Amino acid sequence: VTDTIFTPELLNRCIACGFCLPACPTYELTGVETSSPRGRIGLMRAIEDGILVENDPTVMEESSFCLGCRACEPVCPAGVQYGALLEQWRDRLWRGRHCPWRLRALLFAVNRPSRVRLLGLLRRHARTRRRAATEANLMLGCFERALYPQVSRAATALAPELGVPVGQGCCGALHAHNGDLARGEELARELGEALPGTIVATAGGCAAHLAGVLGGDRVAELSQWLARRDHPVTPGPAPARGGGASQPDRVSARPRIGLQDSCHLRNGLGVWREPRELLEQVGEYVELPSAAGCCGAAGTYAILRPRDSARVLDRHLDEIARADLDVIAVVNPGCYRQLQQGVGRRGLRTRVMHLSEVLVQDGRLEPSRNGGGAAL
Amino acid sequence: LIVTAAVAIVGEAVRDRLAGVVGASHVRADAGALLTYSTDSTPLQRGRPDLVVFPASTEEVAAVLRIADEARVPVIPRGSGTNLSGGTVAHRGGIVLALTRMNRLLEIDPADLVAVCEPGVRTIELAQAATAVGLLFPPDPGSQATATIGGNVAECSGGLRALKYGVTRDYVLGVQAVLAGGEVIRSGGRLVKDVAGYDLQRLLCGSEGTLAVITEVTLRLVPAPEGSGTGMAYFRALADAGRAVSRVLSSGVLPVTLEFLDQVCIGAVEDYARIGLDAGAGALLIFGQDGDPRVIGRDLERIALACRAEGAISVRVAESPQEAAELLRARRAVLPSLSRLEPLTLLEDATVPRSRIAEMVDRIQEIAGRHRVRIGTFGHAGDGNLHPTAVLDPADEDAVGRAHAAFAEIFAAAIELRGSITGEHGVGIVKLAYLERQLGAAHVALLRRIKLAFDPHGILNPGKLGS
Repeated sequence: VTDTIFTPELLNRCIACGFCLPACPTYELTGVETSSPRGRIGLMRAIEDGILVENDPTVMEESSFCLGCRACEPVCPAGVQYGALLEQWRDRLWRGRHCPWRLRALLFAVNRPSRVRLLGLLRRHARTRRRAATEANLMLGCFERALYPQVSRAATALAPELGVPVGQGCCGALHAHNGDLARGEELARELGEALPGTIVATAGGCAAHLAGVLGGDRVAELSQWLARRDHPVTPGPAPARGGGASQPDRVSARPRIGLQDSCHLRNGLGVWREPRELLEQVGEYVELPSAAGCCGAAGTYAILRPRDSARVLDRHLDEIARADLDVIAVVNPGCYRQLQQGVGRRGLRTRVMHLSEVLVQDGRLEPSRNGGGAAL
Repeated sequence: LIVTAAVAIVGEAVRDRLAGVVGASHVRADAGALLTYSTDSTPLQRGRPDLVVFPASTEEVAAVLRIADEARVPVIPRGSGTNLSGGTVAHRGGIVLALTRMNRLLEIDPADLVAVCEPGVRTIELAQAATAVGLLFPPDPGSQATATIGGNVAECSGGLRALKYGVTRDYVLGVQAVLAGGEVIRSGGRLVKDVAGYDLQRLLCGSEGTLAVITEVTLRLVPAPEGSGTGMAYFRALADAGRAVSRVLSSGVLPVTLEFLDQVCIGAVEDYARIGLDAGAGALLIFGQDGDPRVIGRDLERIALACRAEGAISVRVAESPQEAAELLRARRAVLPSLSRLEPLTLLEDATVPRSRIAEMVDRIQEIAGRHRVRIGTFGHAGDGNLHPTAVLDPADEDAVGRAHAAFAEIFAAAIELRGSITGEHGVGIVKLAYLERQLGAAHVALLRRIKLAFDPHGILNPGKLGS
């Protein structure tokens, strides 16, 4: 059989200039080029050309060690679509029985809308405010509705104009990133039919995947949607503009808020300014040096490679601790879980919140609940 | 004189001894890693090493070299592998000695105006550390975000500021290096004046890993300029921009930056950077000055005048530092951006005296046309350093052949105009065949004797400079 694994035009793009090396978290950890985008593309070419076998141990290891964060894409002047290449790689290596067993349960759980709905029924999610489909509709992420139902509640409070139709399935990002590209695209198209008009997502990963399959004009991540909208962002009183000097108490009480970018939102969709501008309206925004870098959640990575995931996270936790943040905001449920666990492990006082939760509270934060024991 | 060149026979015993020096996890012999370290950034050049070794200290480097020298195994020192002349390709096998673990910035001393660092420090990290204390490390090659100081010294990298500030060799005050037999030497140091002995640090600058392995570098820093300004001028043709360059340089201005791009390059880089460049213009000249704000204003005005006198279509000074930074970032990205046109980009760096630049540009265009090769030309116009780049389909063997024939003529033209076959990318593998034409037989024979003195068994980066 002489079928190709990779789209030749995608694979040919890389000229091995190495501009991607400093952007890659796994190269940063190891200093070994085999664990860099350029190195991995070399491995892809080698298996495509038959120089290395597909199940060569280094090839297998590197396809899994890669976070899939796509931080190499914005820095690539040649325009290599690394994320697409990685999906094709994993589609080949992890298909069927080669799929890591820890993944199978997850993929099974979200493969049908009915199962996704079950996830939501376990927890109180946005269903209480279910609203008929309109020209823009909120997508209820599958794991988010089980783990963080408060996110979609906050999103509907911030954007009451959004419809919240029933019968939503998974967007398919999980499948696409984990070795089942065809099913991942199929699920995205099904969701595109269930949600007419603009699909507003609270998860950067879902937004990027949907945009990749359905086209960018069909999709908006929540911060994009809010920034695009005419009306004020917060449902409560609008934050004072230019009146800071006359309201010293309010200014000094502003919480210190950092942001963890969602990799696919930033590197795939180019959205990074919007969440920052929104956060600046409700608090003192602090840009962490690692804000744009992957936190190590990386979809299923934290489950598949917990040790590497924790190594990638360490730097972020160091910076959060040093900046003594009140809140670290996230725009993706994977990052939410990753940071919550990391902050908890270190006993930091910082609260992890989705952007929508921070905005809906308009900076009036309740005392920290997570992060037990730390100074308050 | 025939210099012995080592051939690769790396047995289990050598591998075990090396693992004993650097630790087993820092020796890679798996097929995947060997494949990764078979190439650098040079197209079409590939050579599979037998091992990749990652030492952490000068002592470890010395021990590795002693073992390799005893076993007569080639050693190819490497930083981040952004080389563009095949200089770090192990085309005779052996050990790739990756120095990226030696990445400590040891000191920045504002009193002595020096920085001391290990070779694996990235150029941009050093530059930023200098900036943080009000100093400047001027050499800024296009690959500065990835490339290492060790690689920059070994290749004598240039960059966008060379016109005013010079190149890497002008900033290397001292080195610590390990000779092929494992002896550790120091040359130079923290002094501006020091004539004790031959100027070995200068010799090692641009030695392309063929004489010794550099394990520590002492670099000269200068006070950071008060400010900087950047501007751009569009021309109908690259030769017009070339003439503007000569006019600028004879008008009493020494700009910090004077870079040009032809139409092919403007289109490709705009496709990446999207900063609103006029892809319809024949050429773009980017100019810059730094220093006292009053001097900047005066000089940018003089440069603009010179450009208009040579028929510039439009001239514009960047209004904000962001706009200037975007312009320079776009310039650095020209080479990789060109691959948007075709997957194979063959790049050269022929250099001519700056007064001959318009002439050289015309010659390149004539040669490209005659060989039917699509060549985009960009480069450091102010120092006569051109980067004619052929963009091709690698599957089209005839086109690849025509491109090589065109480059042979371009090198000949550069030599004829009293220029060089390489301004800053190094001789490596790809230009070794042209070296004697430029230097002459006696000079090349001397290079071989120097190589022999440093590396009697020919283990260091064999088959390249000095071979």
